[in-house]
Amino acid sequence: MLDRKLLLVTGKGGVGKSAVTAGLALQAVRRGKRVLAIGMIDGGGLASHFGVDKLGYQPAEVRPGLFAMAIDRGAAIDEYMKLQVPVPSSIPTKTLSNVFGAVVDTIPGVREVVTIGKPIYEVWAERWDLVIVDGAPLGQVMSYINAPNTIEQLVPSGRIREQARRIAETLTMNSSGMVMVAIPEELPVVETLETLAELEIEQPIQVSAVVANRLLDELEVDLDGVPPGAHLDAATHHRGVWASQQHWLEVLPADSLALEFLFGMHTPSEVAARLADAFEDLP
Amino acid sequence: MTRCVLVTGAGGVGKTTISAALGVTAAQNGLHVLVLTVDPARRLADALGLKTISNEPSGVPTVENLSAAMLDVTAAWEAIVRRHAPADAAERLLVNPFFRAIADRFPAAQAYAAGEEMAVYLESGRWDLVIVDTPPAAGGIDFFAAPTGMKQLVGGKLLRFLTGAGMPGRRALYRVTARPVFRVVDALLGGPLLEAIADFLLDLRSMYDGLAARAADIERHFSRSTPIIATTAEPTPLREADRFFSALPKSLPSPELVVFNRVLPDEWANGKRAPNGLDDSVREVLKRNLARWSDEVRRQSDAREEFVAQHRVGLARVPWIASPPTDVEALSALIAAADGFEQLDLTSP
Repeated sequence: MLDRKLLLVTGKGGVGKSAVTAGLALQAVRRGKRVLAIGMIDGGGLASHFGVDKLGYQPAEVRPGLFAMAIDRGAAIDEYMKLQVPVPSSIPTKTLSNVFGAVVDTIPGVREVVTIGKPIYEVWAERWDLVIVDGAPLGQVMSYINAPNTIEQLVPSGRIREQARRIAETLTMNSSGMVMVAIPEELPVVETLETLAELEIEQPIQVSAVVANRLLDELEVDLDGVPPGAHLDAATHHRGVWASQQHWLEVLPADSLALEFLFGMHTPSEVAARLADAFEDLP
Repeated sequence: MTRCVLVTGAGGVGKTTISAALGVTAAQNGLHVLVLTVDPARRLADALGLKTISNEPSGVPTVENLSAAMLDVTAAWEAIVRRHAPADAAERLLVNPFFRAIADRFPAAQAYAAGEEMAVYLESGRWDLVIVDTPPAAGGIDFFAAPTGMKQLVGGKLLRFLTGAGMPGRRALYRVTARPVFRVVDALLGGPLLEAIADFLLDLRSMYDGLAARAADIERHFSRSTPIIATTAEPTPLREADRFFSALPKSLPSPELVVFNRVLPDEWANGKRAPNGLDDSVREVLKRNLARWSDEVRRQSDAREEFVAQHRVGLARVPWIASPPTDVEALSALIAAADGFEQLDLTSP
């Protein structure tokens, strides 16, 4: 999985998407790779896992060999314009950004193509061994993945259509993959399965892994005869949550990658380091 | 007057469960209650008697005075268009591919639709209390920003660029698109598209007056509502909850209550000795298990104390139960086992 050029991480809100992105990025760096991690919607999560206050639009080195950035809509639009269009010098950049910004806000698919375009250029630029994206949450991710198609349907011609097709091609390549993070509870699992089914139809991107996060271990102990109190309560709670998790885990694909529940982790950087350890055995 | 409680917060923290549980409790206290939800888990929907999505509230079986509705965004948008646009423009809009894509995918559109539905229920006078479970894509402040966001979209920043400030209509369009800046955009998008967009925007613009008036109503309802924030002690939802305080428009009431879900018992953290008379191996497992859960208890309570001290907000705590409630008894038991909700006063109309 870490041999791919592009990994897009998604998952329902609150399942640990940013933490898994950071853990995978750190593990890839330990293997000597040059990595760019991108916060696509909100860079805040990724920043905290790397122990920095915030991420800018320019990649900054947060660890040796590990660069991180967050996508900023305005900056992404400006850069898109510069890269895509020969702009006559008679037009003030600001005017063009304003007009194109309004286009982006109005035409479905354009915003998504501009946003997902940035990680794709970085792949094209071949400056990195791995570009890993802390992507849109599960409910929105398909509108990004399908944005090139949306554009093809709505936009009859023009450069953006051409470019949307190239983005779609890059996403379908063997060197690109999606990582879907779930926790073993009803909504995250059900929504993950729905998205997997959707991806199955058109296969706009391969699924590299489904990650089952925050799994409790089985508490193998006989509770008969244990007197009431905190010890019994904690053990009963643990078992109850474990049993419920097992139910939903069985519904996820059998080859899902299991990550254990991390008890009492205070800082996001601690969490990221522990997850990087857990990814040690990844092929 | 109908009271309105808005349950906001990041996705995955249990907003829908908490909204439903508060609704059940208030109805059992004798209030006439409506819970407006967006996308409940299947089993919770079953518990509320919600068979299909429908903007028409239906009574919850086994709980007197409690109704629930599950927002149907597509139907809500159709109603909004018919309400605010002239008949011919409405027909064109409803089949327009740009419009469909905006109504289905634009997060502010979903949040705005929820806002209009909310306003309808609040004004109907049928309920003492309406509890709104805010849309997941617009969990935090985005829900409150939606009326302004939609007004801007319909008012058309792009349309102003295309036609100039005076809104002169279709004819001015072609003159304006001859400007160099639009030639650049045309190169990107292909010529006819910009005109198709302008046509669409002119139809959309016909909704502006109605929508702007309604957006003002919705904002007035917001300003009279009681927002509460649901979160867990995890960093991601807490960051979203923080944003709620730092970025909320001043015209809106500040949240009175933060609800921490999945709270573990404080008692677990007080280093108790393992019970005597047990097998050494059993004792060892139990000790180790309690030790790691008490780390979790301390982490949670540090996060809670920091949040409450920083934002000077009331605190309610909902216990972490192993499997989420799937019937009204369990929903009601959840609030009974929680503390802090008396600050909301779910007993008097």
